[in-house]
Amino acid sequence: MAKFVLMLPHAPNRYSNLGEAEFMDLMTDYIGWVEEMSAKGKYASGEKLLDEGGKIVTNASGTIEVHDGPFAEVAEILGGYMVINAEDYDEAVEIARSHPHMKHNETIIIRQTDPSADD
Amino acid sequence: MTAPADIHALLDETVRRERGWLISSLVSRLGPANVDLAEDVAQDAIVKALATWPYKGIPDHPRAWLRRVAGNAAIDRIRRSARELGVDDDWDLATSDADIITPSLSDPELDLMVLCCDPMIAPQDQLYLALKTVCGFTAAETAKLFFLKEDALSQRLARAKRQLRTQSGEIARYPTRFALKDRLPALLKIIYLMFSWGYLPRRGDNLYRDDLCREALRLSSSLLAQTDGEAAGHHALHALLLFQMARQPARLTADGRLATLDKQDRTRWDRGMLIEALSLLEAAQASPELTRYHLEAGIASIHAKAPTWEATDWRSISRLYTLLEQYAGSISVTVSRGVSLIYAGELADAEVVLDALHTQRGVEDYPGYHLARAKLAQARGNTALSLTALRQARDCEVSDPVAAHILRETELIDVPV
Repeated sequence: MAKFVLMLPHAPNRYSNLGEAEFMDLMTDYIGWVEEMSAKGKYASGEKLLDEGGKIVTNASGTIEVHDGPFAEVAEILGGYMVINAEDYDEAVEIARSHPHMKHNETIIIRQTDPSADD
Repeated sequence: MTAPADIHALLDETVRRERGWLISSLVSRLGPANVDLAEDVAQDAIVKALATWPYKGIPDHPRAWLRRVAGNAAIDRIRRSARELGVDDDWDLATSDADIITPSLSDPELDLMVLCCDPMIAPQDQLYLALKTVCGFTAAETAKLFFLKEDALSQRLARAKRQLRTQSGEIARYPTRFALKDRLPALLKIIYLMFSWGYLPRRGDNLYRDDLCREALRLSSSLLAQTDGEAAGHHALHALLLFQMARQPARLTADGRLATLDKQDRTRWDRGMLIEALSLLEAAQASPELTRYHLEAGIASIHAKAPTWEATDWRSISRLYTLLEQYAGSISVTVSRGVSLIYAGELADAEVVLDALHTQRGVEDYPGYHLARAKLAQARGNTALSLTALRQARDCEVSDPVAAHILRETELIDVPV
């Protein structure tokens, strides 16, 4: 089965002024979804990315420069990513439709990993 | 797979318990002047920790996990805050690291409870403060439990915390060692208040609040273990909580109605708790002084020992209520004495006791008073009077299941014969 990465971006201030009760409801949805997908063998792994910090390393000017995050100018920041097992893009999209991120945020970006890299 | 409701309950319980523990251990390190900082640190750390659970699923040992992650985040934050605030950097982080990951509930929690029981803080505010800090309830939850506006509660908490800041010296640094003995009666009192409120909330849709009752019971056991029961009446108080807790499941029928003591299925009482309570009551005999808790636990034990409602020893109960009136007189105690006299068949005495309450301030707002008068009138066959009293009880503030119960009682009488 192929692996797909679901990237979960959110607005920079999405969680900053959230009450605990609301936050708890959100977490319940996400955790419940991950448990459900794990039980079906669809969930492979995931990582939460730290909201603060972040670096950009670039050699656009000819020498390597390092810039600090946060990236205030962007509309969304990447909160984390999850890796799922699916037959193809159709199934990956179906799985993404059921993701609580679609209820609580706007966007999921799906990319398939290249299986030939596994060997 | 776990149902959403279970996940929510698990998060709730874990977070609440760990918040209390983190705040307590931070306050013991930073001093009572920094309760706000401790709350912030604990909160940040918990939210941060929780945000990662969706990606990895719930850890096998959520509390240990949360304690480790939150503890580390807290240490970071304190290191920074200590520098920003210019707090003395003399506390030993090497040992506090070890402390923060210790799984056992121990001194920090007791320290904070002792601090909350500052005699300059009103008992009700001591209770709010303890719930907010030691027990880890949020301000919103605490306000909801007591039907207060969150703003009003926050103001009272802020005032109480200002008072905490005035504590200094040895008491602030080692509250348990220097103030525990003086404050033990106050500690018992907030545990008692917490339980009473949980046992019979005066509003809302719950007959009882299991989380509050359990938290009171937990604090009481932890205090009992750490003080070896040295507070006069503590064994008795703990017995009382267990007696009441044991009956909890039988207080609601399968369809969610209130079942009064005479209608309860006694096989649903928790035998284990009752046995433990009885042996604690035995231990309570060694107490240097008699307290209200002895008397109340004594009354509860008579109910616990009665195999049926009919076999209840009402004469002993009314004698204990007479004593209790001398130790801790209140409208509710007198009403209960009146009720015990009715069941003992002493209707004339019951009438004298209840009538004497007539002029007391606040008696009209106490539903138990009207219910007792309704019962007395009924025992005498005076249906009209009974009905009037029941209607007065209906006008008092009670929780929804109690209101529904009173209404059913009214309807039972209100049938033309």
